[in-house]
Order: sequence, then C-alpha cells, then structure tokens
Amino acid sequence: MTTSQTSPLIEMRNVRKSFGLFEVLKGISLSVNDGGVVCIIGPSGSGKSTILRCINGLTPIDSGTIRVGDFSVESLRSDKKLIPLRHEVAMVFQQYNLFPHRTVMQNLMMAPVQVLRQNADEVRDRAEKLLAKVRLTGKESAYPGELSGGQQQRVAIARALAMEPRVILFDEITAALDPEMVSEVLSVVRDLAAEGMTCVLVTHEMRFAEEVADEVFFTDRGVIVEHGPPSTLFKSPSDPRLKDFLDKVL
Amino acid sequence: MTLDFSWLGDPLYQQWLITGIGTTLLMSLLGILLMLAIGIVGALFLHFRIPVLETITTVLVELFRNTPPLVQLFFLYFMLSSVGLSLTDPVTGRTVPLFSGFTCAVLSLGLYNGALAVEIIRSGLIGVPSQTVEGARSLGYTRFQTFRHVELPIGLRLCMPAMTNNVVSLIKTSSQAALVAVADIMYGATQIMVETFRNMEVMLLIWALYVVIASLVVVLMRRLTSMIRIPGYGVDQA
Repeated sequence: MTTSQTSPLIEMRNVRKSFGLFEVLKGISLSVNDGGVVCIIGPSGSGKSTILRCINGLTPIDSGTIRVGDFSVESLRSDKKLIPLRHEVAMVFQQYNLFPHRTVMQNLMMAPVQVLRQNADEVRDRAEKLLAKVRLTGKESAYPGELSGGQQQRVAIARALAMEPRVILFDEITAALDPEMVSEVLSVVRDLAAEGMTCVLVTHEMRFAEEVADEVFFTDRGVIVEHGPPSTLFKSPSDPRLKDFLDKVL
Repeated sequence: MTLDFSWLGDPLYQQWLITGIGTTLLMSLLGILLMLAIGIVGALFLHFRIPVLETITTVLVELFRNTPPLVQLFFLYFMLSSVGLSLTDPVTGRTVPLFSGFTCAVLSLGLYNGALAVEIIRSGLIGVPSQTVEGARSLGYTRFQTFRHVELPIGLRLCMPAMTNNVVSLIKTSSQAALVAVADIMYGATQIMVETFRNMEVMLLIWALYVVIASLVVVLMRRLTSMIRIPGYGVDQA
C-alpha cells in the first residue's frame, strides 16, 4: 500500500520555461504521489500541456528541477539518457499521434521491441491483453486511419501501457473527439486510475476531473493559482480567476 | 515516303537491340538504386541539419541539379581518367580508366537524379506530421530511430508521385550513355542507322521502345504506390 509518507513519484520545483520572449511557465511546483491521479485544468495557453511535456523531457526547461522516480529530468540531455525515463513515463496526446503506416498491433509492439529491446513474443502477448483491456480485440490488423477517433485514442492508451510505465500523462485526450466517443475513452482512463496507475491529466472534462482526481491544479498564465482536492477546488474555489474560469466552463 | 522495316529481320541487328535493351535496363536499375541511396542519405543530412555535411549536400545538390547531365557524364568519363584515376591491368600491363563508360553512366545517373531525389525525399519528410514524430519521441525513440522507423517510411510513401517522375527521367537520361560508347538501346540504334541508313524507321522503333519501357515502369511504380499506401491515411485513394 502506498502511503502519504513516501516521497512523491513526480516532483516539479519552481520550473520556468520560455518560448522566445514568452514565458509559458513562471515557476511551477507540483507533486504527484505514486498511484495518484492529478488533473490540471485552466484556460488555453496557461501552460498545462507544457507542464506535461516537461515531465517526460519532450520540452527542456530553463530553470528549476523535475524529478520522476529516481530521474532528474532536467539533467537528461541526450536521446539515449531519456530512454529509461520514457520507459517509466508514457504520454497520450490530443491527436493520438499513432504511427499511421503500422497496424494497431504493430503500433503497440514497436517501441517495446525497437526501443526497449524486449522479446517480440512476450510483447505480443502483453499487447493482446492490452487490446482486450481497451476493448479493441479484433482490431489488431487494422490501420489507425481505419478506426474512429475514440478507437484510435484507445489504441494510443494501449500503446502507452505497452511500455509498462509507472506514470501516464494524458494531454487533452478527449479534446479532438466527438461527444459520444469521449465516454468510451474516459472509461478506459477511469479503469486505469482505479487500478492504481499514476495519471496526470490535462483536461477540459471538469466532471471527469472531479470524479477521478485526488488533486486538481488550476493554472493560469504560467502559474498554479490554486490546487487541492476536487471537492474543495470545484465546490468552494477561493481565487477569483478560478471562480471566473469555473463559471465559464461548468 | 515508304517505311522499310526489313532490317528488323537481321539477326545481328536483333542481337544489338536485345543487348541494348538489357544494358539500358541494367544501367537504369543500378542508377535507380544509387539515386535512392544518394537521395536518402542526402535527405538525412539535410533533415538533421548535420554540420558540414548539410552544407556539402546543399552545394552538391545545386551543382548536379543545375548542370546538364550530359556535361556531368563527359566530366566523369573524360576528366576523371585524365586526372589519373586509372588502373594498370595486372595481366596485360595496359593502363585502363578506373571508370568504364558503363560505370560512369551509372554514376552520372545516380548523381544527377540523386540530387533531385534528395529534394523529393526531403519534401516527403517535411510532410510527415510533427505529432507522429512526437509520438515516437515520447516512446523513447532516438532521433535516428524516429527517422528510420517513422519519418522515412511515411515520407517515402508521400513522395511516390514525384519519385515516379524521377525514375522515368532517369531511364530517359540513360540514353546519353551511348555517347561514351555504352552499348545501350541508343547505341545499338546508331549502329543500325550507320549500316542501313533507315534513320526514320530505326528512330521510330527506338521511340516506341522507350515509350514501352517508361510506361511499364510507371505501371510498376503505381502498383508499388498502391501496395504501400497507408489505409485510411490522407486523400490518396488510388
């Protein structure tokens, strides 16, 4: 059982990042416990996605520290050094970002075999189980372009899980989906959260955030304005910017 | 004017033409392989902006793209042997050019169309969505692995129409090899014309032969394009 005494799995300390003259992150600090589910909400351009991209090293930071497990992310500067981190931190994107020229099964197997050098037969067994988990058994030899958005996103989640990560970062994964497909994707995430997978979600699905999150962070203009358990954050927000935001989106 | 094709019955001429077709096809095939290799390696240098190699690639691409292929062929054939690139035959003791006419023709085709291929493949790579690349990066793929397993396979598919043009252009350009005494179709035709003076008829046949070869290659390339087409991807529903 994980206890609150153990050090958090992800710890960001005073992270700053600028793109050109525009400072996207102005000193972000947050932590995520092992097995925890954290949602990041906030207006567009407030730096939510950048936070996720910094956690897995896709976006290098200017200052501050990011620790994931035993890795100090800001010190991993080469592709090779980033591999163990990316083994532990998987990411699911708004546009699915699947490999269009490979079948569903190949999408799941490629990285574990080509990057982690795992045995192909073992990976295939695991991939079949994962496809069953995301309710896509039978689609093994389909290409991503032949699937609906909701199905593609579930393939992307299965592909992330195939890396056997400790954390999955979800970057607005339902934003590009038709409303009826949102629920099928969210139910997969809900299952993962219930199983104890550490999840960090950037989302506009407030009700979902309220339901699954242990802690919610509200970002605005590159700072975390308010954070806390969803019950307090959604029901009795204290910051006027958060109140204003919730009025608009709820 | 009457056309007389009776010379076609001469076994010697038939022999010349068949050998010529074989030589043209072999030369073109080797040229295509070299062209692809140059295209991929050059596109890789440009894509990764590898210092020095990127600049060299750009200079060479401009040099080969912007000079006539015939000039390049003559340069390779005459200049390289005169600057001393020759071998001494161990058996006869004679000095032979390091590059035979055939080798020079293949090199010239590979370099000229390879320079075009660099730009064609690069345009295909640019067409690969950045999200797809990011998906690979987030799974731990290094830059080179991403290139090899994701960007290149998708980019090559995207550039198939332009690459088909380049392949056909290469086959047609191969006819200039006759000028450095490579016994291709064109060379055979010239020989036949010299002996029969049936210039019009021979040229009509040569014209038809090139049309047939090029058309077959276009059909093959279309087949290949639809074989490797990504199901449900893009608008190319061939």
